Amino acid sequence: MNWPTAKLALRLRLPAALSAAVGLIAVMAAVGALFPAVGHTIGKLHVPASVSNLLGGGDYGTITGWFRSEIAAIYGPLVIGAIAITGASAATAGEEEDRILALVLAYPIRRSRLVIAKAEAIAVVVLTIAAAMWVGLIIGVALAGGGITLAHMTALAVQLAFFGCATGALAIALAAGTGRRSLATGVAAGVAIAGWLINSFAPLVSPLTWLKYLSPFYYYAGHDPLTQGVDIAGLIVLGAVTLVLMIVAAAGIERRDLRG
Amino acid sequence: MSAPPVIEASGLSKDYGSGRGLFGLDLEVRAGEVFGFLGPNGAGKSTTLRLLLDLIKPTAGAARVLGLDTARDSLEIRRRVGFLPGDLALYPKLTGRVVLDYLAELRGGVDRRVRDSLVERFDAELDRPVRELSTGNRQKLGLVQAFMHEPELLILDEPIAGLDPLVQRSFHTLLGEVSVEGRTVLLSSHTLSEVERVTNRLAILRRGRLVVVDSVENLRRVAVKRLEIEFAAPVAADEFRAITEVTEARADDRTVTVSFQGSADKVVKAAAKHEVVAIRPREDELEDIFLRYYQGDAA
Repeated sequence: MNWPTAKLALRLRLPAALSAAVGLIAVMAAVGALFPAVGHTIGKLHVPASVSNLLGGGDYGTITGWFRSEIAAIYGPLVIGAIAITGASAATAGEEEDRILALVLAYPIRRSRLVIAKAEAIAVVVLTIAAAMWVGLIIGVALAGGGITLAHMTALAVQLAFFGCATGALAIALAAGTGRRSLATGVAAGVAIAGWLINSFAPLVSPLTWLKYLSPFYYYAGHDPLTQGVDIAGLIVLGAVTLVLMIVAAAGIERRDLRG
Repeated sequence: MSAPPVIEASGLSKDYGSGRGLFGLDLEVRAGEVFGFLGPNGAGKSTTLRLLLDLIKPTAGAARVLGLDTARDSLEIRRRVGFLPGDLALYPKLTGRVVLDYLAELRGGVDRRVRDSLVERFDAELDRPVRELSTGNRQKLGLVQAFMHEPELLILDEPIAGLDPLVQRSFHTLLGEVSVEGRTVLLSSHTLSEVERVTNRLAILRRGRLVVVDSVENLRRVAVKRLEIEFAAPVAADEFRAITEVTEARADDRTVTVSFQGSADKVVKAAAKHEVVAIRPREDELEDIFLRYYQGDAA
């Protein structure tokens, strides 16, 4: 680990992450507060299974279904994925495109160590956001009247943290391999969205059911952490994917010409 | 036995296609030299400097810096070299102080007193965010970070870009001190006036190829000489153009300016056929020499 680089990356990224964390807690508290007034009125949506899957089941009549549809299915992974992907791309390819790395990499630091230090800082940002979601869930569930155990809320936050790390690692691997911020951001976001769609639709088509195993969403929420708790196997897969992508990132940036 | 060169490039090439890049560079920079690396924009200067620091990989050839292989021993080279990139970019949201603290920590072993004395010497602004600094003030930070660990070799790409004359003078004084200490400087520029005062030798690059490497004195010595001859009555320039050694002759009323190489004998004898009022020698400006090597490029 290169502590000066990780520390600087945190200094650049953490203030915005903390602001986002405060906002997230407020949003999740508001979501919880809305449930008593709105949840029972909406009830369970009677929509095609494909739409229901996209919305995390579409059961707004129960507190677990409410938070699964409102937070776990889209909002949570969207926020943590977006923060991980944009932060990872900016910290690596962004600094390269801005020609800052032309100076930094003339210092005695291996490119791979620099990328790993940036990744560590992004991981701290992801953990901060996941922790904010955990706090927001606790407050939101309390305001909604309770009904989800602390263990299950913790499970969702942990699954989200691993999902954020995996999507951030994908962005870092792309950024380190190409030095292009927009490509890294776009492709990583595209993969995440495709993963969400595949995880929702693939189980509905028998011959394509296996496709869900290619989706990071399956390992994040396929197990339904709000009712089943932590999915160790899913975490292992997401952790392994993160590790492999970091190895790819470290190898990718060592071999190519620096841009800018 | 003479000391090995501090920088040694052999057939060093970086082909970007379409004729762009660097092609077959053979170059030696000796210990203690302040070496000027000149060429117009796009000549391959920055490419060379980036190759020496392993920021980009050569397509052919190899280079050694401080006796080390640029590809295999890059980390050790970067530990011992101070680098200022052209068109320097720093973290825009951070103050100069935070940036220098980071870079010093990243490098390790930076003597705080040396850094502070450089800050004072260049009057560098440390307490404002980089994005609020002028180009010159950013360049001062770049110079401080390049010199702060007292490196054996300094590789500086367009170092005085944006600096005001007073800071330029401080920089030139510092280069002199560095040279006296036996340290080596490789300095790139696209204008000769930037480097002629401080360099011992210089190389001129054009379209990715080395055109000449020589001392400033030798470049002056081989320069085309010029005589301005004032006659009592107008004389046709053609009389001088007929002389083999003459490269150019221009008449302006009663004065003929003759550029020639080698001996002045035939020029003087041709002039003596007329009534000569005065003969004034004109030394070719070094900038002219430089531009002549550039011919064909937009200088």
